[in-house]
Amino acid sequence: MTNERYLIASYFVCTALATVLGILVYLFLRRSFGGVADMASGKRLPLILKRLLPCGLLFPSLLGFFSVSYRGCNRTNYEEIVQSRTYLVEKNQEQISSVLLSIIIAVLFWDVVVLLILKYAQNGRNGTQLPQADD
Amino acid sequence: MNLELSAFLTLLVLSLAVPTILFLLLRASLSDLLRHTLKLQAGVTFYLRSFLLVLFLSALSAAIGTSFDLKPGSRFMEYVWKGAEGVSSTLEKTVWFVAAYLVLVTILVATLKVKDDQ
Repeated sequence: MTNERYLIASYFVCTALATVLGILVYLFLRRSFGGVADMASGKRLPLILKRLLPCGLLFPSLLGFFSVSYRGCNRTNYEEIVQSRTYLVEKNQEQISSVLLSIIIAVLFWDVVVLLILKYAQNGRNGTQLPQADD
Repeated sequence: MNLELSAFLTLLVLSLAVPTILFLLLRASLSDLLRHTLKLQAGVTFYLRSFLLVLFLSALSAAIGTSFDLKPGSRFMEYVWKGAEGVSSTLEKTVWFVAAYLVLVTILVATLKVKDDQ
């Protein structure tokens, strides 16, 4: 396999991998997140949150992948990039590493969202349970 | 199997051992703490699963990002040093993300428990 063919194949394989990873993490968290989202006030907010979760995991995953550039200080044009197989493999490793990092950041972001949902759900619960102050 | 692949696989196994040990050590007590604080099973499952993801993805991210691009004919110990660099990077990333997760859980406990205690 020539380096150019390797570059094309590995690029699309890594894109697919980033997509699959994003979807897998979504499937892993979907049900428990749905249970928490149902605690959010209103009828539409839980639905919006549940629909945003797949985007909120898939987009960061793809962002991590696309953020890695093949052009560097020593390799500015296409011929220089496809010259070395080691360089191409290194870039693939960098892409996967960046995808995983982006997913972690997204998961931590959704942790904060869940925290806020629980906080406001608790405030609502306590607000309705508080005894009325006597005048 | 060539030396580069062996070194990479060893690094991968070591990198997966770290989050596995951490998760097994912390799972029960973290689960108890979350159950006591959240009182919602879905919330407990969500935070435990996100902890698992944070641990494993951070370790894997560091391990996969390590490149064994040594010159042909490199000695055995050069691969060991490169592997050690990878383990160091894995531990560093794991520590940072676990710290971020712990800060988050501390905020969670602090904000949700105050109201309950009242």
